Amino acid sequence: MERRVVVTGIGVISALGDSPAALHTALCEGRSSLQPITLFNTDGLVCKQAHALASFTPEIYLGKKNLRALDRTSQLVTAAATLALDQSGWSTEMRRQHEVGLVLGTMFCSVHTISEFDRRGLTLGPNYVSPMDFANTVINAAAGQAAIWHDLRGVNSTIAGGITSGLHALAYATELIRNGQATALLAGGAEELCFESFCGFERAGLLCGARHGAEEFPIPFDARRNGFTLGEGAALLMLEDADLATARGAPVLAEIKGHGSAYDLSRGTASHQAIDAIARAMRLALQDAQMHPGDMACLSASANGSVLTDRHEAQAVAVVCQEGVSHLPVTAVKSMLGETLGASGAMQTVALLAAMRDDVLPGIRHLAQVEEDFPLHRASPSNQQVQVRNGLINSVGLDGNCCALVITQWNGI
Amino acid sequence: MQRRIVVTGLGLVTSIGTGREAFWHNLLAGCSGIGPVEAFDTSVYRGGTQGAEVKAFCAADYLVHLDPASMGRASQFATAAARLAIADAQLDVSALDPERAGVSMGTTSGEPNEIERFDDHVVEAHLERIGPEFIASYPCHVIPARVACEVGFAGINMTIPTACAAGNYAIAYAFDVLRSGRADVMLAGGADAFSRITYTGFARLGAIAPDICRPFDRNRKGMIPGEGAAVLVLEPLSQALARGARIYAEVAGYGLSCDAHHITAAHPEGHGAVRAMEKALAHCGMPSDAVSYISAHGTGTPTNDQRETVAVKRVFKEAAYHIPISSIKSMLGHTMGAASAIEAATCALAILHGRIPPTMHLEEPDPECDLDYVPNAAREHTVHVAMNNAYAFGGNNSSVLLKRCEG
Repeated sequence: MERRVVVTGIGVISALGDSPAALHTALCEGRSSLQPITLFNTDGLVCKQAHALASFTPEIYLGKKNLRALDRTSQLVTAAATLALDQSGWSTEMRRQHEVGLVLGTMFCSVHTISEFDRRGLTLGPNYVSPMDFANTVINAAAGQAAIWHDLRGVNSTIAGGITSGLHALAYATELIRNGQATALLAGGAEELCFESFCGFERAGLLCGARHGAEEFPIPFDARRNGFTLGEGAALLMLEDADLATARGAPVLAEIKGHGSAYDLSRGTASHQAIDAIARAMRLALQDAQMHPGDMACLSASANGSVLTDRHEAQAVAVVCQEGVSHLPVTAVKSMLGETLGASGAMQTVALLAAMRDDVLPGIRHLAQVEEDFPLHRASPSNQQVQVRNGLINSVGLDGNCCALVITQWNGI
Repeated sequence: MQRRIVVTGLGLVTSIGTGREAFWHNLLAGCSGIGPVEAFDTSVYRGGTQGAEVKAFCAADYLVHLDPASMGRASQFATAAARLAIADAQLDVSALDPERAGVSMGTTSGEPNEIERFDDHVVEAHLERIGPEFIASYPCHVIPARVACEVGFAGINMTIPTACAAGNYAIAYAFDVLRSGRADVMLAGGADAFSRITYTGFARLGAIAPDICRPFDRNRKGMIPGEGAAVLVLEPLSQALARGARIYAEVAGYGLSCDAHHITAAHPEGHGAVRAMEKALAHCGMPSDAVSYISAHGTGTPTNDQRETVAVKRVFKEAAYHIPISSIKSMLGHTMGAASAIEAATCALAILHGRIPPTMHLEEPDPECDLDYVPNAAREHTVHVAMNNAYAFGGNNSSVLLKRCEG
């Protein structure tokens, strides 16, 4: 009998709130966190808006001591870990007796820390940079710092896959629990907003509003979409072997039923290959969950307003669902949270877990006109009343990575 | 009955040779890849002039589909190593189902030269010189992505950036993917490119040796930053047997743990390293006395080598004195995320050939490092089980066990 993997706690730091309930409420009210950027200087950049955390105060979650050793990404992860550990009841004392690990998905960890360290070396000379800053330049720094902070001595791993990092991390952690390498793992993703990544995406022409007269907000699946906006945040789930969770009387919030991954060798340049890879990841996730497309109550789309990837995802959904397509309610939370990159898959998962609690699926903000040939009949700007007994979550990268996850309500053993 | 997973191909790009044969020959001969850094000027550094760079490497000699100019240096190493591994395994790629063929790669820095160029533009106030290629070529997940595109593997594509232990993590992941039947073949390994960020950081930590790398020697003065890549072909035993492949070794299991102690320094009593070794042994139900060779993390820094020795003694007790241990970082320097993949390939070769590479430059024994480190000369030794240990910033510890494939 294969081990089952359940969720017993959620930690989320998002631009729309630091609890699943607050995030869900904001999403259902159609609030967007899009604001002019104040975090860094945008001179020389055409796009000037992003979904920054307006008032992230790490002291609230971590106290005042020892914060200096942690950069922004590490603070986000460590704060989200506090929330997830608290909710799941993994006290400091219990963690001393029983190993808890951490699997973090991130695209860059902190490219800001890396770049700033390098630029200091260039301007001050290599003998004048701080060795402590160097410690945070490794891509596994945030996972390592959070482990030190919370005494997480179990498996500690960092997963990078661009936009799919967060969902890949949840899949990776699920496998470690299924095959007995771990029994309790925090897993999810984190990404900070910073000049370096913003400038990179802006220069690649991927952000919305770069073209004169184009809409300056992201509109997933809409005919007017012209790019995405960047966001930031962290989302971690406490994943456990179901036997362990039930034995210790932990609150079980949901079950991770299945996951699937695929790679598009055309890296988004050939539509049929891109659609095939997204569809393949979804099918593999359903197969792993031993479920059919028709069993799914809803889809949390990866769609972020990108011209091509939104199209590929929409058409992949049609390929997987076939005639059932018109009945699958779809949400796209990146319309309000922005593209949180390595955090996004985990952020979508948290939002869907919250939607499960009151059976309302948030609408897609600004959606007015679903692109004509997108077979998504239940993509709507309005909230939808849906019995969210389960959900399929998609994560589609800009460069070929595809991942899908199936979560369901917990029905006991 | 669980699927057994074996190593059937090795691809290496290193400072002592590219390709399995050149690498192994030079490794046993004790050749060094260490010399003055050529990638950038180190004359201003207070703490380091030496590096272990891959020289005279031309990716175009190995690549079939991709243009090396379209990718960074680490991706060039990785794609070349992947091609070499596939050729070494005599794997007919056209006969594979591409959807069931995946890639799993570890790295410390991804493509650091790309962010360094970005930083040059920012410092020189030339933002306009930053083009679309930065975001397309910098993020570390480009490494397995390029490998997949070069060889046409459309299955799982995974990047595990767990710093200096990343290669082991990537191999462990690939092992799990194959065991659970999610793929029929995996390319797994690690790659890193020489980087001024990495060099500056280690120099400021005072960790770089002034001349050579002397792991476990009483006068060891530090590590030497290096670069390179290794890719292993992993596949189920049944498939390897069916196609008559040469089998180097079987992947027996692995153990991962976290120190949760300090971001750069290992735990003084090696708690995390001990747990990784113990978990690996438990994972494959193996007693500690089954281990016949240990490939050490052995960076050559005063603390690493001493703490690693403490940890090995805690796990193997008296037997620790009878297990040959070597650090090939004495020759290759520390190739970061590639290191444990190169060392895993070394374990596989040691198992196949019954020879163990030396720890070079071990002249004066350290009373605190009093195990058998195979000093200065390769040794004939039948290796039934090899333990590949790798540790990293962030307290990420890993032990992978490879064994002679029997039955």
